[in-house]
Amino acid sequence: MSEPDTSGRLLGEVVVIDDIGPGRRSRAYPSGGFAALLLTPVVLLLGAVLLWPIARTVQASLTGPQHRYAGLAHFRTDLAAEGIRQVLGRTLLWAVAIPVVVILLGYLLAAATRRSSSRVATMVLVAPIALPLVVTGVMFRLFYDPDPARGTGTRTVVAVAGLFGVPADTVPPWLGPDLITIALMSAFVWAWLGLPVVVFRAALDAIPTELADAVRASGGTRWHVFRDALWKPLLRRTTTIVFALVALGTARAFDLILVMTPGSSVDEAANLAVRVWQTSGSATSGPAAALNVLWLAALSVGVVIAALGSRQAWPPPQSPPSEPEFDGSTVDEVAPERGRRLVRRTLPALTALVWAIPVVALVATSLHSPQDSATRGWWAAPLRLTSYTDLFKGGDLLRSLVFTGTLALLVTIVVVALALPAGYALARLRPPGTAAAGVLLLAASAMPVQVVAGPVNEVLQALGLAGTGLGLGLVHVALGVPFAVLVLRNGLADVPAEEIREARFAGRREWWVLWRIAPVAKPAIIAVAVLEFVQVWNDFVVGLLFGGSAATPLGLLLFGQTRQFVTNNGTLAAIAVLASIPPLLLIVFARGHVVRGLVSGAVR
Amino acid sequence: MTQIVSRRALLGAAAGVATAGLAGGCTRPQRPIQVAVVWSGNELALFREVVRQYPGPVEVVGAGNDMDAFLSARYRTANQPDVAIFPQIGLIADYARQHWLAPTPSWVAARFAEPWNRLLTVDGVVYGAWVKAAHKSLFWYRPDALGGQPVPETWDEFTALVRRLAATDRPAPLAIGAADGWVLTDWLENLLTTLASTDEYNGLVRGTVDWGTGAVRNALTLLAGVWGVPGAFPNGPGRTLLTQNEESVVQVVAEHRAAMVFEGDFVGIVADRFRPAGQPPLATFRFPRLGPAQPYPLLVGGDAAVVLRRGAGRVADRNAAAGQNLVDWLTGPVRPFTPWIRAGGYLSPNLLVSPTAYGGGLASQLATDLQTATSSLRFDLSDQLRGSLGGPDGQGMWKILQDFFAEVTGAAPDVRGAVDRACSRLSRAAAQAKRETSS
Repeated sequence: MSEPDTSGRLLGEVVVIDDIGPGRRSRAYPSGGFAALLLTPVVLLLGAVLLWPIARTVQASLTGPQHRYAGLAHFRTDLAAEGIRQVLGRTLLWAVAIPVVVILLGYLLAAATRRSSSRVATMVLVAPIALPLVVTGVMFRLFYDPDPARGTGTRTVVAVAGLFGVPADTVPPWLGPDLITIALMSAFVWAWLGLPVVVFRAALDAIPTELADAVRASGGTRWHVFRDALWKPLLRRTTTIVFALVALGTARAFDLILVMTPGSSVDEAANLAVRVWQTSGSATSGPAAALNVLWLAALSVGVVIAALGSRQAWPPPQSPPSEPEFDGSTVDEVAPERGRRLVRRTLPALTALVWAIPVVALVATSLHSPQDSATRGWWAAPLRLTSYTDLFKGGDLLRSLVFTGTLALLVTIVVVALALPAGYALARLRPPGTAAAGVLLLAASAMPVQVVAGPVNEVLQALGLAGTGLGLGLVHVALGVPFAVLVLRNGLADVPAEEIREARFAGRREWWVLWRIAPVAKPAIIAVAVLEFVQVWNDFVVGLLFGGSAATPLGLLLFGQTRQFVTNNGTLAAIAVLASIPPLLLIVFARGHVVRGLVSGAVR
Repeated sequence: MTQIVSRRALLGAAAGVATAGLAGGCTRPQRPIQVAVVWSGNELALFREVVRQYPGPVEVVGAGNDMDAFLSARYRTANQPDVAIFPQIGLIADYARQHWLAPTPSWVAARFAEPWNRLLTVDGVVYGAWVKAAHKSLFWYRPDALGGQPVPETWDEFTALVRRLAATDRPAPLAIGAADGWVLTDWLENLLTTLASTDEYNGLVRGTVDWGTGAVRNALTLLAGVWGVPGAFPNGPGRTLLTQNEESVVQVVAEHRAAMVFEGDFVGIVADRFRPAGQPPLATFRFPRLGPAQPYPLLVGGDAAVVLRRGAGRVADRNAAAGQNLVDWLTGPVRPFTPWIRAGGYLSPNLLVSPTAYGGGLASQLATDLQTATSSLRFDLSDQLRGSLGGPDGQGMWKILQDFFAEVTGAAPDVRGAVDRACSRLSRAAAQAKRETSS
């Protein structure tokens, strides 16, 4: 809180400086102290719960007993272990194959649905992002049930094989060792496809159509239009970011693999995360830490790619881009030929139909009694609610729902409260190191919590929070803040300079300026709040590691029921459906805000 | 400016301290006791019903099959449950030596026969108390599905029955939950109870007897003789490796795809839940003996409750006392497991629970078997193994037997080669486990 006369002097400068550019602004800006104040809580939190633990993990990977330097011995032990090369190869395959498939499919669908009014189709494709990955795992375990009488995926393959005269017994099962990775990947693609569809649609809508017209007018083919009017100006950058995001996401396929893989196929399905989980139980922590460091190294490559991608030169827009609209906007263009129109009509609808089947199967399974869901297909047998009524008998589920909801709400409030000032500081005050902070925040938001779980505990113990609900919340906050700061920084950077100027004239203190302009960044704030709530609600790993004795978080509760499928199908499906409803409703109702909030500031 | 920064830093630090104080204050009121279990589904529901009678709040967490991964991860985050209940008692030695566990009071240990306590004894101290036992030497069958054949008493008769049923167009003779590695290890261990001498059996547990020798080799060869019968399992072997234990029971009792299924007493309650109305319950016969002169195998399993230390000093004592009170109550004279006993699928080695408590019938007889098998108690071998040799999913014995199963059930299997490979992999896994646990 600077002296009144200081801020008065400051006002005039900012108005001028704002138009000069970031480099000088940071040097010239006089209220570094205020920026420091705004950033301190976030810096402390990230330092304690992310940076310091990473340093500790790296240290543990290089030292032996009594902290003696062990060189690369732990890494050599890891790489000599049976099957580790396959695990690393599989992790890499996930990180490369999934983004490619997701991007290709997502771009096609985005291009196809852009100018059609298939709202429902888009909704069906986007909705899976909202679901907990544990639920997706349960859903696809049921979908790929090796018994054709229950598993729709198996039934389909068996039917197709039958057309070619292949007997049902010789068709390899989806969940068997040969196809398990494909089955897992399909579930992951199912869950993540909505992201590129939304992002590419926003990008395509933001591209001025005059560009394509100009290329066409100068005799360009369709390929030229794609290259010069779409790929170069916008898609290259968007693709890089989506690729990095999805690749980083695949590192967390842990939940999916743990829930969906039958015991006999675990070896053929394990990625690095699962391997770390299985083997970190051994007495010495050195090799486990080394595995974590390998994992970190791979992730940092992804982060660097993402950071480079987002820094690519952005062509100054000729006209101020209109607010990208999520649904429906129809811009008239050259009428496409009939064939292409047919594809545009049918591709989204067909994909949506295919995308809906696992959900329908899950909901239908939950509407059968546990007995019927074990012995018959979801399309047969009378509908009953016994799977649901059984769930609420003990009160444990209700307690878990209330606990998870309260936790998610509180964490969301704290995250927004911490990230808003920090985002403001980075966007408007630009203290030294702002650019580096962006990369660090990106790295922090991609960090899997397993890597730092041990050292994080030392911090929690020092605070007396280990094993408490507060400790669990604190870990969630630390994991959520980096992404929130990134989004809010972009959102606040979008606030027009005039509004800030007005706010500065009207109020004398920086706090007041922040308070005044916060409503302008409403879409970004809503986006952060919704995504944070959904992330905490959907969490499995943090609850698995840090869940205290107060109550069991929902993801862990569902996981605890996955030891036996088939006899437990009704119960599992019912919990999965209940766990999906809140995040689904949130994302569906707030989707416009979320998309606007996420793309805001992207043009800077 | 430096002055301002330092003032901010001070403020930040003060806020941090305030938060910590608040947190400390919040955790004091009565904290629920957290219990981690491997059960899920119906068993988890029944256990929750049991602990609901406890005077204080209890939070039950299903930790999945890999209890070791769960506890180790939770230990690293200083967030271990107060009590853990699991069948892999081989873990107890490691945990006790790392000072993770609180010893069991003598009055609690006195509720069990000496051989049962010996299984939980590490360096002369008992860690843990039994809350559930399992009789793992049973075959369950639909009486009308054996085609009028008599119940087999010896392994040869059993093999012949499987062959005969497999040759007909009736349902397959056997269902098996091979997706759960422990089902396969239970088959092997039932044979080992007879094929291996007591010394040899215990030597396998301790790692002093090589897995590639006599008894294990013979047992695997015998298993291949039954598993390898063409048509022994419904829908072919590939499908069988994706069938879980409870599903295999459903295949017998509800879907009538198979006639018999092997597993412990806990099959009964699953069978009853899924038995179509009007159909008689499944009947049982003992796991066949190797010859008319040999005894019937009796393999027992069980779930032990251990109290985990958390915190340090006086906090640790208070926490341990809370956990110990719960275990004392679970094994105590109020017999809280009565709801589970009534529902079925529950046996106890607890001397306070008399065999008559099961209301006569099969369960009472099995409970008598368990309590009288004191001198020759053969406890589940894989559950006693240390390190990764004993499983779980994708590891050690579980995975090796699954691969062995896939080999011998394939077309034109090379049984001798499969046995060789399984034996040498078991030996290697045992050596690896030894390295893990000694380091």
